[in-house]
Amino acid sequence: MTEKQIITGKNLMLRALKEKGVRYIFGYTGGAIMPIFDEMDKLGDFHFIMSRHEQGAAFMAQGVSRGSLSTDKPQIGVCMATSGPGAMNLTTGIADAHMDSIPIIAITGQVTTGVIATDAFQESDVIGVMMPICKQTYMLLAAEDVEVTVHEAFYVATTGRGGPIVIDIPKDVQNQSVSETYRFDAKTFRPSLPGFFYHPTPEREPLRRAIELINRSVRPVLFCGHGVITSNAGKLLQQFAEKVNIPIAFTLHGLSALPVDHPLSLGMMGMHGTVEANRAIMAADLLISFGMRFDDRVTGRLSEYARNADVIHVEIDPSEIDKNVACSVAINADVYRTLHVMLGDPMLTYKPRKRWFEKIDSFRQVMADDLRREIECGVGDDGRLLMKSIVHQLSVLTEGKDLIVPDVGMHQMMAARFYNYQTENSWFASGGAGTMGASLPMAIGIKLARPDERVWSISGDGGFQMNIQELGTIMEQQIDIKIVILNNGHLGMVRQWQTLFFDGRYAGTPMQSPKFGLIAEAYDIPYRKIEKLDEVTPALQQAIDHHGPILLEFVCDASEIILPMIPSDGGFGEMIVSRPGQEKTATRKSKGGKS
Amino acid sequence: MKRRAILAFMLDRPGVLNKVSVLIRKKMYNVDTLTVCSSRVEGISRMTITLREDDQAKVDQIIRQLEKFTEVISAKELDTDHSYWREVAIVKLEVDAAHLESFRGRYNFEVLDQKEEDILIIQLAGATRQIDSFLEEVGRQYIIEIARTGVAAMEK
Repeated sequence: MTEKQIITGKNLMLRALKEKGVRYIFGYTGGAIMPIFDEMDKLGDFHFIMSRHEQGAAFMAQGVSRGSLSTDKPQIGVCMATSGPGAMNLTTGIADAHMDSIPIIAITGQVTTGVIATDAFQESDVIGVMMPICKQTYMLLAAEDVEVTVHEAFYVATTGRGGPIVIDIPKDVQNQSVSETYRFDAKTFRPSLPGFFYHPTPEREPLRRAIELINRSVRPVLFCGHGVITSNAGKLLQQFAEKVNIPIAFTLHGLSALPVDHPLSLGMMGMHGTVEANRAIMAADLLISFGMRFDDRVTGRLSEYARNADVIHVEIDPSEIDKNVACSVAINADVYRTLHVMLGDPMLTYKPRKRWFEKIDSFRQVMADDLRREIECGVGDDGRLLMKSIVHQLSVLTEGKDLIVPDVGMHQMMAARFYNYQTENSWFASGGAGTMGASLPMAIGIKLARPDERVWSISGDGGFQMNIQELGTIMEQQIDIKIVILNNGHLGMVRQWQTLFFDGRYAGTPMQSPKFGLIAEAYDIPYRKIEKLDEVTPALQQAIDHHGPILLEFVCDASEIILPMIPSDGGFGEMIVSRPGQEKTATRKSKGGKS
Repeated sequence: MKRRAILAFMLDRPGVLNKVSVLIRKKMYNVDTLTVCSSRVEGISRMTITLREDDQAKVDQIIRQLEKFTEVISAKELDTDHSYWREVAIVKLEVDAAHLESFRGRYNFEVLDQKEEDILIIQLAGATRQIDSFLEEVGRQYIIEIARTGVAAMEK
């Protein structure tokens, strides 16, 4: 046999990835994954991007999957790492993808099969660790299993509710050759998973009952969840809302499914949602939820949640139905298909709902003046900048059309609330897991998936330093992202809780940051520090005009808080709408909470 | 708390048992019994899990999450009215053979081994409650060792 004819596990791995349309591979090499890296380099079929930490690679992969899902060429992000510490460093990014239903493929090298389970150098039980935090795991023990497994992995990752897949491949299997009789045909391949199916099409009977409830409802609210984005159903939801004249509240992940300033939009719901969304939910007689899972940050205390409302739950994952909130009508189906069928139903009727909208308008007024005043003022009591005002100015300047990748914390809620999302699928946040440090690497993936659009990575000073090393990747690849640090010298969101529930004791939240200007310089990235209100818009404009990455550091007021707020495990009735001690206090006295 | 039996069929792949047990731990249950065996169809395993839970919604939730596993083909709850729950116990006991014989008729057991006059190994099959009451009647102080299989269940 000539050398050319030898096909090994690593060849098959890369062949399968290519077959599945993978363009970018993010990762970090090491002893147990070297053969695949070596082969990848020889082939030159992929654009390899070296992260500076494996966690960064997982978030970059997420960025590709999240960013491209609304394009005509959706891609699945792939990350690779070596065994032991390399694989373990991926875990946070994988758990994050699992919580947010993002399909990614993580490929980890493993020690050779002969020494597995002997505590070999850089060995860890990757499957054991990953199993509870991803959708599916595979361990490859023979080169002949590689292609079939990778193809199955892509199928599982993207079928029904998305999720991350981990493939662990020992080093000797990467180098193992397959027999001459080995055959695999990707085109005819169908995974043999008799129990793995999902119901994309809604059943007729629950649909009929849903439409009956909708037509009968006096105070309905539509919920736009992540499933609307992942099934590309934003426009359909908008049509549906307009057809039945029902206001829409968004979950954190539902943002940007349709323009957030649509007349029927109530903005975001939940813990830091708008007053109008939360009060409308409290007063509603019907909630029609599309593609969401009634997370605790959305519902607050379950026993008090929407007690007088019927719930129609449209959800692709049957295990989410009745999990947190019992529903009156369950529609276990794809959001896009459900909306498509519902829109064609002649029974669906338009209602003016005049009194309901009047009531909602009164909810809109509760905080409107306070927020307008704060945004217009732009600075806090100490003269430092307010995050909400910066986000608002960014929104005005970019007409709400840019892609926003927040980190996790107070600035994230500010970005969720005060950017006027106009572009479908333009908001990318670590939601379920709430992983600080997600933004910078995720923005890299987003930019690669959507190269023609402007991408803003917005972080706090805390989260930014959690994956600060990815500035190296940005430098090396010249990724054109606009990096914004909203620096308030604290872990802002926790500080807010300390202000409200821990008598202002700031345990573990103040933090000293490095001179970000020097850091930026070290990475050859232009930098500007903004301390005054009149510099905000010019600095943002400078970032827009600059081709290539740029870092803007805004010096923000540490005492700024994001309101309204429903305390953790609190009911909607406990929503705090003004700072303690100010005129408008909470509807009821709030209780202490824990994150 | 009410004892529940969940019957699941799943692909016989490595790690499936781990997945199921991780789910049950995550849901904060202590497994009462768990039995796995091959099914009528090659490559498909049959698993019976018993655990204690009063809240029907929580049991339904576990079943839905089990069904979500890629490898799981079906999962359902079996109730005692519409299914048989049986287990086997192998018991080593020190008891007068004649005395043991007095239980025959009420309990269906088989003597597997009798090394000495009054030391026997017996096999007993039946419902959990039956096995429990046999052990009580014989007297737990006479039991040297006991091995129970856990519940296997089948719908009527």
